[in-house]
Amino acid sequence: MSVIQTENLTKIYGKNETAVTALDRVNIQIEEGEFVAVMGPSGCGKSTLMHLLGGLDKPTSGIVRINQISIAEMGDDELTKLRRRKIGFVFQFFNLIPVLDAAENAALPMTLDGMKPDLARKKACEWLERFGMANRMKNRPDQLSGGQQQRVAIARALVADPTIILADEPTGNLDTHSGDEIAGLLRNVSNDYNRTVIMVTHDPRIAAYANRIIFLKDGSVIDETILEKKNDNNAGLVADKMKKISD
Amino acid sequence: MNIQFRLALRYLSGRKMRTALTTLAIVFGVLVIFGMNIVLPTMITAIKTNIYAASGQASLTISHITGNLFDQSLVENVLPINGVLAATGKMVRTINLPKNYFDQDSEKPDRVSVLNLQGLDLDNVQSVHSFPLQDGRFLLPEDRDAVVITQSLADKISVKIGDSMRIPTVVGEKQLTVVGLLFPRTLPGDEDIFVNLPYAQEIMNCSGKINLIEANIDNFEDQGKRDEVVNAIQERLGLDFQIGTLNSNEELLGVMDMGQMILNIFGVLALFMGAFIIFNTFRTIVLERRYDIGLLRAVGASRSMITGMILIEGLIQGIIGSLAGIVSGYFLGYGILRLAQEPMSAFVNIKLGTPVVPPALVGICLLLGVSISVLSGLIPAIKAARITPLDALRPSVADVNYRKQTGIFFLIGSIFIGVGILLLFSDQMSWIAAGAFAFLLGLVCITPAVVRPFALLFGKIIARIYHRQGIGELAQGNMARHPGRTAITVSATLLGLAVAVAAGTLVSSVSISVANLIKISMGSDYLLVPPSVSLWGTNIGASADLEQKLRAVEQVDVVSSLRFAESKVNENSVSVLGINPHDYPWAGGLTFVDGSESDYDQLNDGRSMFINSIFAMTVGAKKGDVIELATTDGRKPYRVAAVVNDLLNAKVTTVFISQKNMEKDFQVTEDIFIQVNLKENADINAADAAIKTAASGYDQFTVISGKEYSQSLMNQLQTAFSGFYFLLILLAVPSLLAMLNTLSIAVIERTREIGMLRAVGATRKQIRLMMTVEGLLLAAFGTILGILGGLYLGFLFVKGIGTFMPSEYIFPLSGVLAALIIGLSFGILAAVIPSRQAARLDVIRALRYE
Repeated sequence: MSVIQTENLTKIYGKNETAVTALDRVNIQIEEGEFVAVMGPSGCGKSTLMHLLGGLDKPTSGIVRINQISIAEMGDDELTKLRRRKIGFVFQFFNLIPVLDAAENAALPMTLDGMKPDLARKKACEWLERFGMANRMKNRPDQLSGGQQQRVAIARALVADPTIILADEPTGNLDTHSGDEIAGLLRNVSNDYNRTVIMVTHDPRIAAYANRIIFLKDGSVIDETILEKKNDNNAGLVADKMKKISD
Repeated sequence: MNIQFRLALRYLSGRKMRTALTTLAIVFGVLVIFGMNIVLPTMITAIKTNIYAASGQASLTISHITGNLFDQSLVENVLPINGVLAATGKMVRTINLPKNYFDQDSEKPDRVSVLNLQGLDLDNVQSVHSFPLQDGRFLLPEDRDAVVITQSLADKISVKIGDSMRIPTVVGEKQLTVVGLLFPRTLPGDEDIFVNLPYAQEIMNCSGKINLIEANIDNFEDQGKRDEVVNAIQERLGLDFQIGTLNSNEELLGVMDMGQMILNIFGVLALFMGAFIIFNTFRTIVLERRYDIGLLRAVGASRSMITGMILIEGLIQGIIGSLAGIVSGYFLGYGILRLAQEPMSAFVNIKLGTPVVPPALVGICLLLGVSISVLSGLIPAIKAARITPLDALRPSVADVNYRKQTGIFFLIGSIFIGVGILLLFSDQMSWIAAGAFAFLLGLVCITPAVVRPFALLFGKIIARIYHRQGIGELAQGNMARHPGRTAITVSATLLGLAVAVAAGTLVSSVSISVANLIKISMGSDYLLVPPSVSLWGTNIGASADLEQKLRAVEQVDVVSSLRFAESKVNENSVSVLGINPHDYPWAGGLTFVDGSESDYDQLNDGRSMFINSIFAMTVGAKKGDVIELATTDGRKPYRVAAVVNDLLNAKVTTVFISQKNMEKDFQVTEDIFIQVNLKENADINAADAAIKTAASGYDQFTVISGKEYSQSLMNQLQTAFSGFYFLLILLAVPSLLAMLNTLSIAVIERTREIGMLRAVGATRKQIRLMMTVEGLLLAAFGTILGILGGLYLGFLFVKGIGTFMPSEYIFPLSGVLAALIIGLSFGILAAVIPSRQAARLDVIRALRYE
């Protein structure tokens, strides 16, 4: 059953002569438990697609369905609740609140939803422990490395038991080693916890961790690749495809 | 803990410096309001205590509406009234004592400076009052100079039963024998001394007269019955009598109310400046936390949660700031009262005591401080809630809509300034005050529109000065890039300095005008000054004997005395001063507002009077009008012969009549202030000795040369004004806070930019200079507008004061220079910490900063 479905999803910024089509009639379906990477050259509409899927932005036309329900008609409050309960976000920058410690950051969606802080913290700590952050719970973001910060962000994305995780360039700000760790973690999230993960990246090596890769160019889906198994050649394959698209 | 609270607390504690500066803005506003509002009520309480202490324990007190003496036989009219159980006549006089009267030691502070003399009618007083004795006996009808005092007074002046104590009286100093001691006084107020009524009348030179009837009535607790009795008494005695408490010092209370209003305006302005600072800070906070807010929205925070979080920060700061403001305001009030004690005891002989804090004031200050903090954060909080998760994830573009800034606000501001200028021509104090507010508000409104032209003009000058540093353009650009924020900072500086310049103008104009008045009013060679020169009614004067003795001194040319009575015109209390129209111009003198010296003769012509400017304004009278004055014989018509002013009565509603009329209508023959002029080429030393000899036995007067007295008055004025200058500096402090806040925020906000500048080759010195120049530009802008506003406001203040007391406008050149220096140095001072922070930024970390 499709967790996410888009129909002729279109987003145009500006008007008249200054109008720029960021997404042009995009139709995609993503199933439960899939790990999908969205790739493409700069300005192809990757992030716009992510924002529309997460209800952060409204499409110019077309439909986004989450769990079979169209989110186009939802008001701000409904969208806020949807993001709180059904979707987890991981961004490249500005991922954590600087004045909260790791456990508090991870617990944020629960505390915002009214859960008792102790209980929310306990749940957050469980996720942080799973991601090897047991001894970093009380550290503030500026006391954590980039990789550790992204682990906290992933724990936060998972803490409210959402069905979908949206990650926008989650490794863009990390070194190779940390990037691999985070990509592996997202793959585990999909495999072990049966969450649907959609990740935007421009790095073929990172994209190779996904099950399926959607290639975008000039706002349209131009190709899809399914990667059956994780192996060292996948990154090369993805890189070749990207090169072809860019050319 | 609620997540909004937790976030609010964490953000506040995460930026300690900024939190402290913002909270300080509220502390300051509340401090001024709280401090000022305890100073005057404390003074008022001290005065009221003096009034009420006299009324004792009787259920009703009856006095003449003028507070003057009336015939003792009136008691007989009260006694037969149904419901009156007992009634007694009293002669009550407050005796202001000269300094060191009892201890004769100028080193030690006086433990007793005021006595309340009560002449008791022993036939019936004990049926109204009880006098529980601790030692000795009570007064007997046959006693002459016997006195009963309290144990506490006996302790203070070290006397016991059988000892004698001296008191100044109208007929010279008298020795009284202490025959009984009452239990120590527990209530605040002046110490009472009790003597036989006939003796009191003798030493106060008012045979057969009393000024108070005390009565006990049946069913006192029953409001209806009590009203019945009160109405019956009123009917019997007529409307010239009032039933309740003694009437005195009302005129001073009125002046104090007005003072409190002026100080409250200062306090509200200070709080207004605080609101500007908080608003500015919150706006920047929202801008700075755009990414945090966007993230919170992305992970599920609703709009109301974001608004709530910002408002909670305001609430926390408001509560802490207001509480700190109240505490520091108490100490400010305490300090001012300590400073005011000296002039208060010198002029009105009243002890101020510790600050009186009305519980409602604490509530009001807390409410004001908290609500202003929360309200200042409201618009930024609403704006914060409008941030979408997507806004936070996109790079920010600092866009300036110049047209919008010059639009509606500029128009409104121009209208306000126009209205302010028009109201300059009004003669009404309330319109003048409205004009002042309109002008200031207008300046605040047009500020955003003039930020850019100002920045361009002064930026070019700075760029020339520092042309090798290349920072002039940057500082100018930075100032103009956020016209709204710059305008808010400039407005806070503007208000702070405008109020300071205006108050400075007022002080310099009033002090020069008062100095001129002192020269005129105190121009005589010798003065016999009572302890209180404002509240004449509390002084014990002298009978005509003293004046005769002074006239008899060989070297003396002119003797002129003042006599005092209280009166009422409509419901307004009026001080009536009796002068000798022939002598007064030669020894003292009045400044004529409408009329001339030749009008003195008119005072001898039937019932004529001079009125002062406050009287003219309060009653709405002018030269030629006929006004009815309440006298001890009912209301009498007096014709206004001239409008005049003098120093001593400048603040109080006063009329001057001839001493002849005063004796006829008020039965007052007691001199309470005497001026003496010597003959030309008189032997000063011989005159000095002779005058002092003549005045011996009248210790209630201090004999002092006119020059010396003028000098001591000027010194006291200087002391009072130095306190005022301190207040002016306090009023300018919020502008420093505003600039410091804005510049600190600028550094935080531009961290990446500063990092980039350092990366492309800017030295630490250049960065420091850039921030300092920015501070200087901000300060110059605020200072120029502030001086402009202050000059206008000052002119209006002086004009407003001129409607009820003599004052001429003096251009405050030194005030303007001081404001310029203070404003610009505040700009540099405010930049010290932020520029150091900016210069010390680590380039790599700054570039990574988001």
